[in-house]
Amino acid sequence: MEDKKETQTNIPTEFNPDLNQDELIMQRHREIEKEIWESTSLVCEKEELSSLEAEYITDEVYQGKVKDLLRKYRYIRRTRPDGNCFYRAFAYAYFESLLNHQREYESFREIIMKNKSSLMTSGFSAVTLEDFHETFMEVVDVLSKGTSAQDELFKLFNDQGYSNYVVVYLRLITSSQLQLKAEFYQNFIEGDRTVAEFCHQEVEPMYKASDHIHIIALSSALGVGIRVRYMDRGQSTEAIAHDFPEGSHVHVHLLYRPGHYDILYPIDTN
Amino acid sequence: MAATRRLQKELNDMRVHGLKCFRDIQVDESNILSWTGLIVPENPPFNKGAFRIEINFPAEYPFKPPKINFKTKIYHPNIDEKGQVCLPIISAENWKPATKTDQVIQALVALVNDPEPEHPLRAELAEEYLKDRKKFFKLAEEYTKKHSEKRPAD
Repeated sequence: MEDKKETQTNIPTEFNPDLNQDELIMQRHREIEKEIWESTSLVCEKEELSSLEAEYITDEVYQGKVKDLLRKYRYIRRTRPDGNCFYRAFAYAYFESLLNHQREYESFREIIMKNKSSLMTSGFSAVTLEDFHETFMEVVDVLSKGTSAQDELFKLFNDQGYSNYVVVYLRLITSSQLQLKAEFYQNFIEGDRTVAEFCHQEVEPMYKASDHIHIIALSSALGVGIRVRYMDRGQSTEAIAHDFPEGSHVHVHLLYRPGHYDILYPIDTN
Repeated sequence: MAATRRLQKELNDMRVHGLKCFRDIQVDESNILSWTGLIVPENPPFNKGAFRIEINFPAEYPFKPPKINFKTKIYHPNIDEKGQVCLPIISAENWKPATKTDQVIQALVALVNDPEPEHPLRAELAEEYLKDRKKFFKLAEEYTKKHSEKRPAD
């Protein structure tokens, strides 16, 4: 689980019947949410990857992994840890790369238009689907302007009205892909939930974190290769890479640290 | 604002394809985030009247769910004295941005028509509903006649 929010702090230990405990917990949730929102933009400016070194001065395992990453990547772009970070990081990284690749942009646009009809048959309501699709396309069409639209893309991704619509639409694509290939994905779902139930509970709601299964579904639905570098407490000196779908051509590089995804920029392309 | 555009679309759609069980939708022209409307249940004992509700959409809509409040008093296990209702489809945990307001209303009307005593906001009414259905119906009907609004003619 990513972005697990703390709920227990600051709640009075003595039970006070005059206070509504649920209300207090929700209040604390809102405070934590506000803190996160104020401290990190939805999508931040690119920064030197070496900035990570300072975060792990006292931690040898992580230090070794940062060193390894520095041999392969130059920049990091952080995203807000709000449970939507996988979708937002993926979309920003991929869209940004399309600014430089107009042919690929055009084929991506076709994939999205084709995909829309499969969303229509996945049981989402037409009115809301149309609304998300329109806004998503508004952002996609900015990519046709090429590299000059870099700043515009950055602004759109920091405007909730657009940025969250992009996240929602990618969530719907993910959900639809999971349900389309339910027989396959059922094997990855823990407990006795059906794929449809899993989608309603873990994919379609905002702020719900993503795992391998979401990444596999989205990357295969769009035909976009994603390499995730895992930085965790594992003893390896390397930040291990997983490519989704396996063996695909990698378009997007993400850094995973327990609970969160950020964007990575390889040394050779920047 | 994303909320305004989406709500305008939903409102138009609802006015064109009106729901029989939700009438008289009124929206403050200066504030599309606040709606009122009349719930018209089909099942006894609530089919003797109509119930005014208020729907408040947050500025972050559709990324956060709307809130619903009953303005008309109702004798119902799932709706408390302050008019608050516990509706899973609009709980923060379950909310999906793709959910439309008319789906929310339909879930609400279904709950009014068929109370869910397993998840009560008013335990005493839930108990009465389970143990003495006749009494519940009688009291709820009297209460409805006394407090509710007139049902639309058609």
